[in-house]
Formats: sequence, C-alpha cells, structure tokens
Amino acid sequence: MPLKWVMHWQPNAGTTVSGQIVTEITQCVESINGVKEGRWKATLTYYKPMLREQALAAEFPRDFLGISLPEQPNKYYFIIRGQRLVLEADSSIQTIMEKLQSYKSKVSLNFEGFQYQLGDFQLRVGKVVPSHSENLRGIVMEVEYLPISSIEKSRQIMGEFFELWQEVVSKRSLPGQFMHMEPNFAEYGLGDLYTSQHTAVQYATVMAQLIATVQAVQAVRN
Amino acid sequence: MECVVQGIIETQHVEALEILLQGLCGVHRERLRIHEICLKSGPNLGVVASEVRLLCDLEHPEPSWTVRHIGGAMRGAGAEQISVLVRTMVESKASKNVLRLFYALGYKLDHELLRVGFAFHFQRGAQITVTVSSVNKMLKLHATDEAVPVTPGIQLVEVTAPASSENYTEVVAAMTSFCEYLAPLLHLSKPGISTGVVPSAAAAAASLMSDGGGTTL
Repeated sequence: MPLKWVMHWQPNAGTTVSGQIVTEITQCVESINGVKEGRWKATLTYYKPMLREQALAAEFPRDFLGISLPEQPNKYYFIIRGQRLVLEADSSIQTIMEKLQSYKSKVSLNFEGFQYQLGDFQLRVGKVVPSHSENLRGIVMEVEYLPISSIEKSRQIMGEFFELWQEVVSKRSLPGQFMHMEPNFAEYGLGDLYTSQHTAVQYATVMAQLIATVQAVQAVRN
Repeated sequence: MECVVQGIIETQHVEALEILLQGLCGVHRERLRIHEICLKSGPNLGVVASEVRLLCDLEHPEPSWTVRHIGGAMRGAGAEQISVLVRTMVESKASKNVLRLFYALGYKLDHELLRVGFAFHFQRGAQITVTVSSVNKMLKLHATDEAVPVTPGIQLVEVTAPASSENYTEVVAAMTSFCEYLAPLLHLSKPGISTGVVPSAAAAAASLMSDGGGTTL
C-alpha cells in the first residue's frame, strides 16, 4: 500500500492549538490546489486494566492503545509502545476485549477532518478531539504518496514535499509548525514495505508527542 | 453465536466416517493442523477470571492466527430440551505476534493442544463444519513436532455452525437432522456430556467401507 507520513502540529512554547490554525492549514492545502475529496476519521482508544488490586497496576502496560483506521475499516490495531508491539486484528477483536472484561476504555480520541488530492499525493488534515467533547487537543496531517510503498525509496520525495509544505505554512506566521517524527519501525518488527500497521505505529507516536506537549504546557502553567 | 455438538470415534473407524461425510457433504475434506493455546487472565487481572484461545493454523505454509472467545451457553428450559449446545463465540484473525500481546496484557498460558485431522465445510440448512481430529499434547513448550495423543486410538468429532439469536432454532434443527446420519458411527451430544463410542460403529464402518460411500442420502 502507498506509504504515508503522519505529522503533528507542534505549537510554539506558551501557545496552544486553535480552530483558527486548522482553518489556516486547510487554506494552505487549498492554496496549493489540493482538491477536497471528503471526510475521514480515525479513532484511538487508551485502555486500562481492570484490576482487583490497584496497587499492582505497575505490572500492566500503561500505554495500551487501540486504533481504527479509515484505510482498513474491518481491521483494528493494538499497540503497546513501551514494548514496541503492534498487532493487526479483525474489528471483532474489540468485542472479544469487551467480553474478557480485563481491560476497559479509558479515553477515546477522534482524528477527523477532510481529505485532499494533490497530484500523486493524498493529504488529510485532522483535528484531534476527545470522543465526548468538542475540545481541540491537537492537529494532525497525513501525507500519502500514492505511487510508492517503500519507505526508503520515498524518503527523498517525501522530504522534498515536506520542505515545500513547511514553506507554504510558514508564510502564514502561525504559532507553531508540523513535525514529522518517524518511529523506528524495525523495532516493531515492521519492514520497509509500508502497511497499515506502520500507520498505527505512527499514530501512537503522534499521540505520545501530543501528550508530551500538553504536559509541557501544564507544567509551565503550574 | 454458534451451535455445537461433539462425539468421539475410534481411530480405526475414522476412514469410514470420512467416506460417509464425503457422501453426505459432496465436498472434499480439508486437512486440519491447529495449534491451540489456551490463556487465562493472571490472578489480579479482570473483574472476573477470563479465558481466551489462540489458534494457529499450521496447515498453510505461512501460519495464520485466530483469537477465539467462547462465552456462556444459552440457558433456560428451551436450551435444556434441545440436543445441541448454543453458545456465544467470537473470533478475530490476528497477526502473528498475538501471543506476545496477550502475555504483555497479563494473560498466562494454561494449556496447549495440537489438533490434527480433517474438516468438511458445507451448506445443509446451515453453514455446517465437521472436524475430525486427534487431540495431542506437547511434552515441551510449543513443541508441536513432538506432540503425543491425549487419548490414543480415539478421535474427537465436532459439528459446529454459526447462528444468531434470530435463527438458532433453524440451525439447531439442521444440525440435529444432519447428526442423525452419523448416528450409526457415533453419538453426538453437547460438549462435556460424554456418551462414549457407539456399539454399532464396527458394523456400520464395515458396511460403509465395502459400499465405498457410494450410497447418496
């Protein structure tokens, strides 16, 4: 499948994300002739263990995530970042997890927005919003290069596109920038040929960055 | 949900059963080689203790994994009266690191088995699957190449069909009717209710073997 980079918006120190930034980023995509194609949505859920003895919580993973992706609607992905573990399963694995009553959903976040076509690239800009509120928690962007599935072979063209994109965005003097942090896929047992498991790992990485950003802002406030 | 019945047959009559099934189903058998790993939640995990099965299909060059959860059986007077067990069952295919994931989540190995045999999948009033397999245990962890039979000379026969709360009565009827054809060779009953081997099996098998399964039903 085509390779993609998942990027997150890193606000400048002391600033936060806002709907206005999303609007301006959308305008940036349209200014470089991105053709709007429709909505997209991914959902990420943090799970926590249901324990009989809370004192033993340290024995269980704290970063257990589940992700559903629009590119694979019948699949579900589990990730434990601390153990560099990603699993692909059918969507019915969620029913199995509910029946086991050993882990429950702590919080769910939706990544949602519009999809654009730009030549051989497909762009998705999305807001990160908790499933039961309207509070904007972050901004993500997917850049997919349709002709290539190899991460290494696409690195140059993706890098060039990213530079161009940063230039377009920088003209608006927004308080922050998009960051691309490529996870070490090999640590997860993933190869150079891109799969949806790579996408799931990228979302988990982006989420860790968003949490770190929020924590940094809170630390400054306190 | 699924409907299920089980029975046992002596290995010497398995060939006759296969001929009978071939005649009844009109499809070819598929070989079966499944490594089944049963995991249980660790002592502190979960509101209640839970159990999940990981099935690794070893029949194909690239092993494939399935997670299976078997839930409670349907209860009540209606469920008592029927000869088939109706229970919740959910399956999900998974990538090969699924065992590692469940270990990471706090599940522990309870036991593991290797089922070797064959299966028939066919439509007969319901999407019925019949598996005939010898159940083997491993002497060393995951050593499927060194598995030995749990009950030498005896094989397990399982008949299952997917069902829903809307159609299970029809599925039960279809399964019950199908199982009657197998009655000369084996008794099929709800799992956990052992009915032993059938006294008429040897005669029925001899008849089937001489007939070559040519009689269509």
